Order: sequence, then structure tokens, then C-alpha cells
Amino acid sequence: MGERSFAEDVKQLGYGAGEVLRGEGILAITKALLQSGVSYVGGYPGAPISHLLDVLADANDSLLRPMGIYYETSGSEAAAAALLGASINYPMRGAVTWKSVVGTNVASDPLSHVASAGVIGGALVVIGEDYGEGASILQERTHSVALKSSIPLIDPRNDLASFARFVEEGFGLSEACNEPVFFSIRIRACHMRGTLTCKDNVRPKISMLSPLGQPSFSLERINLPPFTYAMEGKKFHERLPAAQRYVVEHALNELHPGAGGDVAIVMQGGLWNTTLRGLHLLGLADAYGDSPIPLLVLNVLHPLVPEQIVGFLRDKRRVLVVEEGMPNYVERELKALAHDAHLGVEIQGKDVLSPNGEYVPQLVINGLRKFLAPETTQVAFAGLEERYATLFGHQDHVRSALPKPVAKRPPSFCTGCPERPVFSAMKILRTREPAIGDTHVAADIGCTTFSTQAPFNVGNSVLGYGMGLASAGAVAPNFGKRVISVMGDGGFWHNGLTNGVASAVYNKQDSVLVLVDNFYTSATGQHHNPSTGKNARNEPTGMTMPQALRGVGVKWIRTVDTYRIAEVIGTLREALTTRVPGLKVIIAKGECQLERQRRERPVARRLEAAGRTVTQPRFGVDPDVCTGDHSCMRLNGCPSLTLRDNPDPLREDPIAHVDQTCVGCGVCGEVAHAAVLCPSFYEVRVVMNPRWWQRLLARLRWAVIDRLAPAGVR
Amino acid sequence: MTEPRLLSILIPAVGGQGGGVLMEWIHEAALHAGLGAHGTSIPGVAQRTGSTTYYLEIFDGGGGPALTVSLYPVPGAVDVLLAPELLEVGRMIELGFPSPGRTTIVTSTHRLYSIHEKMALGRGVYPTEALESAARQFSRRLVAFDALAAASRHRTEANAVLLGALAASACLPIPRESYRAAIEGRGVAVESNLRGFEVGFELVAYPEPAAAPEPPPPPAVPPRFVEAVQFFPESCRDVVARAVARLIDYQNEDYADRFLGRLAPLVRRDASDLPRLVARYLAVWMTYEDAIRVADLKTRRSRFERIRAEARADGAEIIVTDYLKPDLDELYGILPYRLVAPFARWAERRWPQGRPTLGQHVRTTTVLGFLRVWLLARLRFLRPSSYRAHHENARMDHWLGVVKQAAQWDDALACELARAAQLVKGYGDVRRRMAATFDHLLETVMRAGTIEADKGLDFAVSTALAAAYRTLVLSGPDGETRAPAVAAEVMARLEANDRDAALASIDRAAA
Repeated sequence: MGERSFAEDVKQLGYGAGEVLRGEGILAITKALLQSGVSYVGGYPGAPISHLLDVLADANDSLLRPMGIYYETSGSEAAAAALLGASINYPMRGAVTWKSVVGTNVASDPLSHVASAGVIGGALVVIGEDYGEGASILQERTHSVALKSSIPLIDPRNDLASFARFVEEGFGLSEACNEPVFFSIRIRACHMRGTLTCKDNVRPKISMLSPLGQPSFSLERINLPPFTYAMEGKKFHERLPAAQRYVVEHALNELHPGAGGDVAIVMQGGLWNTTLRGLHLLGLADAYGDSPIPLLVLNVLHPLVPEQIVGFLRDKRRVLVVEEGMPNYVERELKALAHDAHLGVEIQGKDVLSPNGEYVPQLVINGLRKFLAPETTQVAFAGLEERYATLFGHQDHVRSALPKPVAKRPPSFCTGCPERPVFSAMKILRTREPAIGDTHVAADIGCTTFSTQAPFNVGNSVLGYGMGLASAGAVAPNFGKRVISVMGDGGFWHNGLTNGVASAVYNKQDSVLVLVDNFYTSATGQHHNPSTGKNARNEPTGMTMPQALRGVGVKWIRTVDTYRIAEVIGTLREALTTRVPGLKVIIAKGECQLERQRRERPVARRLEAAGRTVTQPRFGVDPDVCTGDHSCMRLNGCPSLTLRDNPDPLREDPIAHVDQTCVGCGVCGEVAHAAVLCPSFYEVRVVMNPRWWQRLLARLRWAVIDRLAPAGVR
Repeated sequence: MTEPRLLSILIPAVGGQGGGVLMEWIHEAALHAGLGAHGTSIPGVAQRTGSTTYYLEIFDGGGGPALTVSLYPVPGAVDVLLAPELLEVGRMIELGFPSPGRTTIVTSTHRLYSIHEKMALGRGVYPTEALESAARQFSRRLVAFDALAAASRHRTEANAVLLGALAASACLPIPRESYRAAIEGRGVAVESNLRGFEVGFELVAYPEPAAAPEPPPPPAVPPRFVEAVQFFPESCRDVVARAVARLIDYQNEDYADRFLGRLAPLVRRDASDLPRLVARYLAVWMTYEDAIRVADLKTRRSRFERIRAEARADGAEIIVTDYLKPDLDELYGILPYRLVAPFARWAERRWPQGRPTLGQHVRTTTVLGFLRVWLLARLRFLRPSSYRAHHENARMDHWLGVVKQAAQWDDALACELARAAQLVKGYGDVRRRMAATFDHLLETVMRAGTIEADKGLDFAVSTALAAAYRTLVLSGPDGETRAPAVAAEVMARLEANDRDAALASIDRAAA
């Protein structure tokens, strides 16, 4: 399963002590889980942590099962968090993972319960902090969740050895303080390539091979009053103090005294790399990260250790806190501690940096420069402005070189995507039959969200994964015509079946749900979901969406092939106009083209090489028939359907053109037909290695066509 | 320990282009060359055909695992910008990454158009010259060539060609063998990627002077037209010759005569661009794409030869299916005007929009399928008296009349009105919509022109309005909706005698 093959990575996960693993950050984290003796691993996929689950899925048969480790791709982040319940009563180590902050939001109910009851086996939550450049979700950070649930939060500095160390320390910390622990990793860190010197994998003491057998019961672990009061007390009297002791004893935070000056910097561990590169470029650190400026690197953001902080601040005059996101908990806590300890230190942070946005180098360097500007009279800080100007001076001339802003390139549906034609159909219906088709559309999370972008602009709101239908709940009765919700199969199984469909049926919502079924949870990388037919471990499931829909009482269900746009339009029209009350569900089916090409292309290549007959469809545009009005672009949006210069010297507008990446899905022709655009599109089936009778038939045909066809002058 | 030299490489790419493979090759090549290296990328949904970046750092000399690596490129501290697509170079310049003092830009010059560029009704493409000149301005050295074309010629991948170009540019301390070893080590399509690598290497190491593509020479015209073409000013003879050949191909020599007759009154002694513009738009318009024309173009031998060449499969057979869906207009449009006019009037009332259609998939490479389309093309003799010709000619003559009248006022205005014919394109509903827009443009601009003529003004408003209206419509759906409103605002101000306010409205709309 998954977008990539991890055969090489699976092999490396089996490495023993001293062997050197080469790969991405997320692989180092995965390896460290196995080195920590986990009994179970679960999670819900999503960038940037999908590969943790992918590689373990591929490693299940060869590595995990023989060690007795249980692995699952959970139904949702909430289901994943609930796995940690195993560590409440039993001394089992376990890890779960998801994309944060959204996954943490979904998981927050069981997570709060685990954090309240406490754990006796180490429990680690690896959260992929999808924040900043390249993020695909709303922009919030997870820090506040750690604070309100008293979950220690690790934000390690970025290199593979550090990731492995802090995974192992994370389990130790969890067991020392009896709380689950967050291990936070940023987007780019997940995919940084480097090396890790491995240790031996550790076989868990409790596992599928040596099962528990005996239940363990204690009222103190049940989240009911009066025990919840005691649990709350324990968090602040026992667990967090224990965590603070562990942080100090194991030197999880780093103190670099530098040259011992009174101007210092405190930073989140995850920002160490950017801050030190900034100092390096400003001439204030060498390539090894040694700086004359005293530094405190907080690899553990919660809990902070007051003695450690006050000790660092005590002899300082000015301190900068480099902390991403708001609220600025670290900066505020430092200020409060300094105040309580009556220190005269001036603490800055958000005032010279930024309350919002990822802390990319330019932002951090600019903040460092502002912070250090008053110090430039000192020899150590001289030359700062010159170095700054060398880096960024040229940016003043950008607008004169590129007067017109560079065209945006938002992510979109891939070539041949089966979901795209559904939105072509909705846009055609909206344009041609506005009385019914121009209605409110509640969009959902997943690849389908791209429908909100150009060229479709279909979708009026996006609320959460599997929340499309639920988010139309109050619009539908107040709209005056039927509204449409969209949901992908991933979202359906994650949350949509209960919160969307069951709730809509229960509340007699009269609306239309378009369930886009492309057989996988594709936005995260073609992950299996219940209706894929097999789970992540490749075991058959036998779950289908129509069964589930009928089970919760949906009566009106139609299934359409997404590529047949006229049929999709017809079915939408029927759903929007039928007298049948209640929820109407259209299951629009078509396999994810990425997955399909990955499977079929090598086969076709092999057959062709072996001299077997292979037929490849492709689409084309007749350049002299296309008049260059680009209507097709505005309804189709396929990356392979593009422009080229008009070969006709008398015409000027570029014409449509299907490039070599076409997979022949047929949507070009279907859109041209359904929207009555133009006769420019044609399909060409290229028959490789034709059989003798195919060659003969073709020869006969060409004999006739050749005789009749005019040569043409252009 | 000596300070190692840090080299940073930024790869801006379009998701799905394989930028990750490029990054992995360079990473492996650096390790193979014994250098410290790391790289990173942005995973997930950003890669679904959107802009994305990959980043590498290489440490030359000294080193060890204790080196500080950055996960992000730093603006102004990028040594190599390696771009598989040209617009992304522009984006990186906009973000401030490459700098004149430090960066070597190695880029392919081909374009993958963004959806916003593709959606325009006219040319919405970002100007390539601006991108290339900015790349030159914001680099220490620029290596630019069409890697996709080179890859296509040698049946390999553009990525491998670019890797070769990077190697040949020698901006990284990695020997040629290490790059080759990286490709071999990855074990995917090794033979074709190595070939691509060598192609890119040779192209950059031993560049051949690029020959500027020449426009195809104008086709020969029949002897009896040679003199007629000479009648026109030198500047528009090539267009007229092309037009004549096109019209004969479309209909016959008489039809070409009709074209010349329409054009002749617009020729004047001065060096105006007008005859050339009109010749060009008139020739395209007179060869409007009716069902007969489409059938003709679809059954030409040259068409099948082109499709076969594009399929690039020696020894393969091709089966072509055409997606044809003429609507009622296009069907009765080829029949004689006198015969169908009453019916057409009824049909146009009955279905003001979305007329009934005849959808069909025709296998043009089968005998019967071919004959169906071929026979339709034989109906060319019906064209001069057809319902469609009647309407097209009326609109064309109206346009020519308007242009002629404007030419008596002001040459620039006449040229802008001639250019308005660019809007007349498309099929079915699209063409009807565009024709209505065109009519409205002519009507409004002529009203503006009349007001200016009456008041003895200089036609600045009408000329600017004609240009702005056309540009707005061609810019895409939003502009198309805005254009009539802008025109109404301009007219209101002009009628209120406020010429400057009218011009200001146009400026605002254009911005």
C-alpha cells in the first residue's frame, strides 16, 4: 500500500547495532520505535507522517509480525489515540501517529482521557506538524493541546540521530511521568535525507507472541469522579514534576554558554537549524553550530523547567526567544519566570519576529538583525548590516525585472484523475441549468478540495475531514433549493458515515451527497480505506459503501462512472429534482489514476517489449479545428490539456494541445461533448505490435482513405 | 577543523515532474564523491501538480556529521537554482532566492502552463522573454535550454537531461562519474536516464548556436493572383498571399477574389497597419469553421500523417475516434438560406440557448466512418448560399463598414476596431456568445467615436475603450463579465462630457 515502494527502507528497519541507515527523517523515527521495544503501532495517514505508516505496512509480514508487534492503520486519529489505552493498564510501549493539528483535534477526546488516566507503559504520539510552507491544512499549532492536557511536548532539533534519540527518550519520559508524550516533527524534517547509526531492534516483552492473558483493574484508572479529581491533582503534583526531573537528568534541553556574553537566544529545538544557519550567515556562528552567543535549545517545550530557565536568564541583559506560532507560550513563560525571580533581563520574541507564519530563514534572520541591532557597537556584532545587505539587497530590484506577478500554480487534480470530471459535470450543470445547478456546495477535505480552486470554483465551504455533509446541515433547510455536499471515500469512512450520513438521515435532511469513490484515500498517498477491499496489512475486508449507506437508512443511492460526464450530469439532475424526500447519495466511482498507472504501466511496457499486442489510448486536438477560445480549459483543468503556440501564422491565440503525459482517460472528449464545445478533440488508439489481421484490416482501410483523402495545403 | 564550503541547491518544480528524483540523484552523487550532503522536500498534497521545492546542501572539504544543516534555502545564499520549468524560476526570483552575485541558474526553458494562464480566452501566458531576462539579471551565470525538447528528441526524461546540464556547468564539486553512479545506483530506467544525462552534458559542454526558427514561407498563389497581391503595400503582401491560398483551399478562387475586393478599399498611401490587420482577421473569419470545413480538415491525408507522427510508434496501427457534436445551428447552417430561414428563426426562438445537438463518436479510420465525414466535406458547393454564410457575411460586412468609417476619423481607432475581430471564435454557444460580445463592442465604441467626432475630440476614449474591452474579454471569464459594465461606465462619463474621467475608468479597468 501507499504511494511509494519501501522495499529498501523495510530492509534498513531490520538493521542491527552499528549498521548505518540512509534515508529520510521519518524512517529514522520509525527505526527508533522498533529500537524502543514497542508492542503496538497505529495511526492515521496524512502528510508529513504518512511514510511512517506506509513503511510499517510493508514491514508487517517480514519484521513486525515475527517480533509480535501489532500494527494497524486506524479508522481515524481518534481510533489511533484510543490505542494508547493499552498502555493505561499494561506496561506496554506503543506509538501512534497523525497529521497535526487536524488529527490532534479529531483525537482530542481519547487523548484527554489517556492523559487523565495516565499510562504505565511508554506512550508516544508522533505528530507531523503540518504548519507553514507546503502545509495543506488550516494553520494552528499543537502546543496548546499539550498544555491543556498536560502532555509533555518534544520538538527536537533536526537531524536523524537527534530524532532517534528523542524517540527513545520520549518513551523514557512517558514512563517517568506516566503521561503520553507528543513527539512533534515539522514538514521538511520528515523528509530530510541523512544517515543514522542504528541499534538493535528490541523485542517487546508483551506482544502478540507473549500475550497478557490477565486483565488488570484499578478504579484509579477509570475516568469518573471522584478519581478524575485525583488524576488532575496527580498531573501537577506528581507527573509534570517527574517530567521536569527527567528533562534535567537526561539533559534533553541543550545549554551552549558560547563566549558567555549577556545577550542570548532561547529557541525551540525544531528551529535550531534555521536559527543557527541565520547566525552563520550573519557571521555569528561557524558551520558546526558554534556561536559566541549563549544559546538555550528547548528540545522539550512542555514542561519547561523553571530552575533551568531562571539559571540561564540570570546573568543575561537581553534575550531573544525564537518561537513559532501563537500564542507565544515559551516567551510568556520566560517573562513570567524572570518577573517572579526579579531578574532585570529584557526578553523579546514576537515583537522582532512574527506572530504568524512559518519561521523561514529570511524571517528569522530579519528578527536576529533587529534584535542585535543595538549591539553592533560591540566588535562581535560588527558587520551585521553589511552581511544582511549581501543576502537580501538584490530583492529591491525584483519588481522591476518581473513587473507582472508570476502566475500562481495551486495544487490540483492529476492527469486522468477520476474526481476531476465530477466537478466538470457540476460546473457544466451550474452554467447550463442554473435553476437547479447553481446551488450551495459543501466541500470536504481530500483531493476533492481542489474543486474549490480554478478552473471549477465549486465548493462554498470546507470544514473538516468527512464533514462535507454535516456542514450543509443548516444550509440545506434554509436555502430554498437542494444543496449538494461532496465527500471522498476517505472522509466517508473517517468521519462522514456517522457525523454526516447518519446525522443527515436522522434529521431528515433533504439534500444531495456526492460520494467520490476512487478506491483509496488518495490525498495522503493512495492509502487503503475500508472500501478499498483490503486493509493496510493486505487482508481482505469485505466492506462497501452501499452496504454502509443502506445500513444507516439511505434509500436513494445511485452509482455512476465518473468518466461518463453526461451520466453524472443526468444523475445530478435527477437527484436535484426528484420528488423523493431525504438524503440522495450519488456514488461517483473511478479508480485513482496515479495508482492505476503505477500498476498498469509496467505491465504494458513488459507486454510491448515481449512483442504482444498492446493498445494505448491518447487524446489529441486538431490544431486547425481549434479556434483557441480555451473553453475546454475552463471546464476540464487536466494538467495534460495545455496550450501551444498557434501553428497558423494568421491566427494569434494559443490553441489547446494534449501533451505526451496524457493517459487517455477520455475526459477531454466527454467534456467537449457534454458542454457542446467544439469538434477539435479526437481519441487515438495506438496499437503496438498489431496482429496480422489487424495489419491487413488497416491496410485495406488506408487504401480507401488514401484514394479519397485530399492532401491539404496547410 | 577547517570550515567546509557550503553549497546550496534549490530545485523549484511542479508536482509530478519528478523533482524528488532529481534531488535524490544529486544527493547520492555528492555522497559518492565523498562530500557531506543532505536534502529535503515538502511532502503531500502540495505535490499534486502545484508548485513545490526541493532543497539540498553539500559541504565541500572538511565536514562530518556535526555540521549544521538548514532545511530551508536562504534567499541570497543559493548557489545553484536547478529548474525543470521556467515559470518556477520566475517564482523563485520573486521570492528573492537567486542573487546576481552568487547563483548559477540551470533551467529548462519549456513551460508548463498554470491553470490561470490556460483559462484566458486569449493569450494569458506569462511572457517568456521577461522570465529569461529576469533569470539572466538574477544569476551569476545562466544555463538555459529546452530540456523537455531534448529529452523528447532522444526519448528520455527531462530530469536526466537537466542533471547532465548541471554536471557540465561544473558549479558543484561533483565529478561526472558520480552523477552516473547515482543514476546507476537508483536502478530505475538506468539506460534511458544515462542517455539523457549525456545529452544534457553535451548540450551544455559543447553548445551549438541556436538557430532562430523561421516562419514558414507563404504558400504559392495561382498565377492569376500574383498581380493582385502586388497591388497591396509591401508590408501586408505575405499576409495577403497566405490569405488567398487559404481561401482557395477553403472554397475556390472566386471566394479569394471576394476577399481581395473587400480588402482593397482599406488600402491607403500611408504606412498604416490597418490593411495588414484587416487582411489577417478577414481571412480567418471568411474561413469560419462550419461543419463542412471541420469535415474537410478531419479527413485530410496530412491530418492522419500528423497523428501517426505524434503517436511516435513505428509499426503501430492507429485508430482515430472523433468527438463530434454539432448543434442544430451547425446542421441547418450548411443548408441554403432560403430553405431553412423560417425554420431557423423558429428554432432560435424555441431554444435561445443550448440548442439540440447530434452527438456522435466517429471512427474516422474505418471506411464507413471516414466516408460519413468525407461526404459531408463534399457539400462545399452549398456554402455560398448557406444560412450560416448569410449571417457571417452580414456581420463581416458590418465590421468592415465600421472599420472603414473609423478609418476616416482616426487610424489608431480603426486598427483597434479591426483587432476586435479576434473575439469572433469558438463553436456553438461559445461562438454565439462571442459574436454578441463583438457586436456590443463595435456598437459601444462607435457610439463613443461619434460623440468624440461631434465634439472634435481626439478619439482617445473610443480607441482605449476598444482595446480595453477586447483585452478584458480575452483575459478570462471574470473580465468577460466585467467588460460591458466598464463600457457602460465609460459611456456615461463620456456622455456627461467628462473625457478625463472616462479615460480614468478605462485605466482602472485595465489595471
